[in-house]
Amino acid sequence: MRILIVEDEPDLLRSLAQAVREEGYAVDTANDGEDGLFKAKGYDYDAIVLDVMLPKLDGWEILKRLRKTKKTPVLMLTARDQSRDRVKGLDTGADDYMVKPFDLPELFARVRALIRRSVNKATNLIEIGEVAVDTAARNVTRGKSPVELTAREYALLEFLALHRGEVVTRTQLYEHLFDENESSLSNLLDVHVSNLRKKLGAEFVTTRRGHGYCVE
Amino acid sequence: MNWTVITRSIRWRLLLWIAFLLVFILAGLGVAAYEIHWSHHLELLDGQLRRQVVDVSSLFYMPPPPEVSGNFGPSPDGSFSGRGPGPSRNKPFPRAKEIAAKLPGLFQRGDVAGFYFVLWTRENTDVFEQSTNTPADVGRPLTAEGDTGTYVRTRGTFREAFHTTERGDSVLVGRSLVLEITEARHFAGWLFLGSLAALVFGLGGAWVIITRALQPVKTISSTAGRIAAGKLSERINVAETDGELGQLAAILNSTFARLEAAFAQQKQFTADAAHELRTPIAVLISEVQTTLAHERASAEYRESMSACLDTAQQMRRLTESLLELARLDAGQEIMRRDRLDLAVIARDCVKLIRPLAAARRLAIHGDFAPAETVGDADRLKQVVTNLLANAVRYNQDDGEIRIATHVEEGFAILTVADTGQGISAEDLPRVFERFYRGDKSRSGSGNSGLGLAIGKAIVAAHGGTITVASQLGRGTTFSIRLAI
Repeated sequence: MRILIVEDEPDLLRSLAQAVREEGYAVDTANDGEDGLFKAKGYDYDAIVLDVMLPKLDGWEILKRLRKTKKTPVLMLTARDQSRDRVKGLDTGADDYMVKPFDLPELFARVRALIRRSVNKATNLIEIGEVAVDTAARNVTRGKSPVELTAREYALLEFLALHRGEVVTRTQLYEHLFDENESSLSNLLDVHVSNLRKKLGAEFVTTRRGHGYCVE
Repeated sequence: MNWTVITRSIRWRLLLWIAFLLVFILAGLGVAAYEIHWSHHLELLDGQLRRQVVDVSSLFYMPPPPEVSGNFGPSPDGSFSGRGPGPSRNKPFPRAKEIAAKLPGLFQRGDVAGFYFVLWTRENTDVFEQSTNTPADVGRPLTAEGDTGTYVRTRGTFREAFHTTERGDSVLVGRSLVLEITEARHFAGWLFLGSLAALVFGLGGAWVIITRALQPVKTISSTAGRIAAGKLSERINVAETDGELGQLAAILNSTFARLEAAFAQQKQFTADAAHELRTPIAVLISEVQTTLAHERASAEYRESMSACLDTAQQMRRLTESLLELARLDAGQEIMRRDRLDLAVIARDCVKLIRPLAAARRLAIHGDFAPAETVGDADRLKQVVTNLLANAVRYNQDDGEIRIATHVEEGFAILTVADTGQGISAEDLPRVFERFYRGDKSRSGSGNSGLGLAIGKAIVAAHGGTITVASQLGRGTTFSIRLAI
């Protein structure tokens, strides 16, 4: 899962990015409105955390322009807590709204909920055969026994599980699992896929030659 | 409605006064009309009575015309002498029946409309003759000796005219006043009803006029009431309140507008302050939660702690600025009133800011003519330092800062000019507003957005003014003017 954070307060941006990254997401950051809009339009992020008060372009304007082309889930962050601000945010196309200061666990939960809804899933538990993925607790079980996965392996599994039945291209995987600062070494992805097969069964992930991967 | 309401209400006081006036005037007019009416009717009656007195007495003393000779008048027994008018003392007077016959219908009616007559002879104090309908107890009228005038008198409910002849006989004709009294009572009744109608009409008209006149007051008070209840955007409809109150309404409206603006500004300030305080708290919480989520190397903890410290310092500066503004607003900050020279203050501030300017390779040019004034040197230094810090912050690298002091037209003037990006005409009037920043966002932790607002408040506390002029792309100039 790849998330864009647009926030102009440098300390907040840094700590937020670190926290979200440590939750296993790939994170891109932007510290002003123009950069934020450019990135939001350029990638299919799984979610965007957007501050309202930004230099150059404010959050409302970014949202308005973004909504012309993309349906990316957007969580607005603002220090303004008046009801009309919230209404304005939601009406402009925001999917959720949080008032600063906020709790990180709540922010993570809301981001998870946004992503879940964007792929039409009602719960955090995804069961594929004997494999169960809990996207809230970020753990995986096979039968009754827990499966140890690295953060990257988990992210790959979660993305495939959320898009169950679809063929996910390598490009999609690169775009959603790695952030803008990571060098995309193509064989890295193959290593993660092969590790998943070792841990969850060879048939769990199927390869569609020339297309990508799929979890049935 | 109790008495206090009546005595305090304009409407009721006016109505009471009008009612008093109307009752007074109507009562006066009514009494006068009644008097005139009564005396007119009495005069009419008196005229009749007088004529009848003459008629009756002439019947006694005038020889009857030949054609009416009969059972009345100088009797065939020669009771009338040829010497003159009037029966001789020895001759019998005509009796009542005969007089009644002579004046038919006049002295016979026994009801209130009937006239009666009474005769007394000179010799006899008892009644000599009277009509049958004469009421009892008619006393002989007394007149002065030799007075032969005809007089009228009111005796109880009777009106009587009388006359004493040259010979000393008395003739009296009277009638009951009951008819006149009844008529007068009717008239008084109509007068009363008419007056009552006039009073009601007058008071009703007054009520309508007063209500119309006071309508604007009602409009004004209900509008003011709604404004007091929090609907600050309400205004009095001036079109409805023309006349004397229109001006008041216009003044009140402009007052309301200023109130609303002040409230809006206060609300904006509160929202901004909340925003400014929430952001560093968000940073603190996020930073600490992130750091605590996993085990860290000690270097990471150190980094996190120093970020928290920076944020806390920023909050401290902000709260101090907010407190300072609040104290300035409340007038609690006492400014010292020492003699001082703006040139000296400017030099001290330049010394302070020089390292900052040097870091951005900015040249500072000073032009310090003595500019003595009265004020608080520390506070003024705070303002000038803030202006210089802004001049550094918003300047371009290798730019210039010009600071000058001089005296002009009774004012000590200090100007700080930079060669920065300038301020747009749209932003220029708002730079002294609290938390107002040109780019509508936080511009780094060093700038609270309150510096110029505090500066303005301090200069205002000195009785001076601070103004700004700017050209986009060329630079900005701030001027402080203090009275010498």
